[in-house]
Amino acid sequence: MNENMKYILAPLMIVSIYFFGHGSLFLTGNETSFIFVLLSCLSIEYFINKAENEDVYLRPIAGIDAMEEAVGRATEMGKSVLYVPGISGLDQVDTLSGLIILGHTAGMTAKYEADLHVPVASPIVMETAKESCKESYLREGRPDLYKEDMVHYVTDDQFAYAAGVNGIMLREKPAAVFYQGRFYAESLILAETGNSIDAIQIAGTGSASQIPFFVTACDYTLIGEEFFAASAYLSKKSELIGSIKGQDMIKVICMISICLVVMATIFGIDISQYFRMELG
Amino acid sequence: MLKRQLPIVIVIVVGFLTLGGHFINNAPLKNFIDNDATQWYDIIAGFAVFLGSLNLLKLHLTRVVRKTKNWQYSIFSVAGFLLMIIFGFVYHGSEVDWGKHLDAKDSYFYWMYWYIYQPLSTTMFALLAFFVASASYRAFRIRNYEATLLLISGIILMLGRVPIGSLIPWWIVGGMYVALIFALIKSYFKSINLSIYSYLLAYVFLILIGGFVFGWHQNTPAFLKLNDIQQWIFNVPATAGATAIMIGIAIGTIAQSYRIITGRERSILGE
Repeated sequence: MNENMKYILAPLMIVSIYFFGHGSLFLTGNETSFIFVLLSCLSIEYFINKAENEDVYLRPIAGIDAMEEAVGRATEMGKSVLYVPGISGLDQVDTLSGLIILGHTAGMTAKYEADLHVPVASPIVMETAKESCKESYLREGRPDLYKEDMVHYVTDDQFAYAAGVNGIMLREKPAAVFYQGRFYAESLILAETGNSIDAIQIAGTGSASQIPFFVTACDYTLIGEEFFAASAYLSKKSELIGSIKGQDMIKVICMISICLVVMATIFGIDISQYFRMELG
Repeated sequence: MLKRQLPIVIVIVVGFLTLGGHFINNAPLKNFIDNDATQWYDIIAGFAVFLGSLNLLKLHLTRVVRKTKNWQYSIFSVAGFLLMIIFGFVYHGSEVDWGKHLDAKDSYFYWMYWYIYQPLSTTMFALLAFFVASASYRAFRIRNYEATLLLISGIILMLGRVPIGSLIPWWIVGGMYVALIFALIKSYFKSINLSIYSYLLAYVFLILIGGFVFGWHQNTPAFLKLNDIQQWIFNVPATAGATAIMIGIAIGTIAQSYRIITGRERSILGE
């Protein structure tokens, strides 16, 4: 049997079970959501497996390529690298992505022997960030460079945290500043201060409302899915890179769906009634 | 083995349970993801506050003791930290019972919170206005085509959102349109004088046509009203761009979550 058949049979089976158990075993009202999640997982899984046997091209992302350059620049200038993982807790996927990128950045600072400074706004994030940095330094064979106060707690208050990080920036004048995580109104306060000290700034966030501020004040900004793809891009693991292609295919499906809805609307067909869902 | 595999197993199990809870019709499962799991997180995060506080205290005390660079600032951090603990748990200086002192106007805790902490916090927030101004200046500097578009859209949005925007007559807005067209075709003019005379001629022609033929001074079309133009910019191109970014974020979130709950993304554990 063709190996790819499992990508047809498995979802067909899941969809069959879903519709037979619809109303009793499964909740009603979120069918569109279920199909979309299933389709997304299927696409990602398919391309992850495909990537194990063939090379997947990833377009160069300037912001991610610049990360190593920024760490190198900090080393040359004899200054530190400041990493700000946002002000949210671990319940936000942005924070998780920020911590994943922190692991890679810590690996770079260990390799280049640059000082790393990670002020955090949540104690639980602090513990995770410490663990991530420690492992990265160990992986690079430089556990001696890891310092316990490298990752430290500032406060969980939004503007007090912004004041604390601004103070660190103005006193230590880091050569590279990374903003990777969930940000709110403090994003511009941080990024403008970083800009005033002439640090090379690389931002990435899933907060759509904060992206314009970062674009204005930072040298590079990872916009939207680029931020979530950064980890796969940096790790260069085939299975993670495959998932990026998978998510690109979902984007293509979204584009086709949008075009179909536009066409249907032009011809006076209301297809939105078939996609209404009641979550929760 | 346990340190590596156990966290991954927990992530996979809880991840799939949470995902399944959105679709499976099972009250205990739904209760687990809606209430229990979030409460567990709150409890763990609550206990982690002690870790954070200890870390903060240790870091600043070490700086003061070792007199490292800028150690003087750490004195304020430690003093503020200890004072709030004393006024919160040891001595509040008011007549009310413990617990009520947090809202009692004569307690030291209340005073510290409302007369030191709140003004400082508000000051930081207020700084945002100045940072917006400096960031806007940098963004609006005309360097290329995109920056010019941003500048024009920004001016229209700013003018359209203030009362004076509705007072700007159609013939000024029309003049802006003509200027924009001439800015785009300026390379076709051999001399600057010719372009200026052509602009003035076109502008006068627009006013005459608009005023006497179409009667725009009485019945101004939407494309010549700044309020309507800014609303259109906000509703159509800005919303379209923001929606595109949000779709990308949503798909990125799904892919990232899938990588994490299937145990493929292990960078968070330092691998």
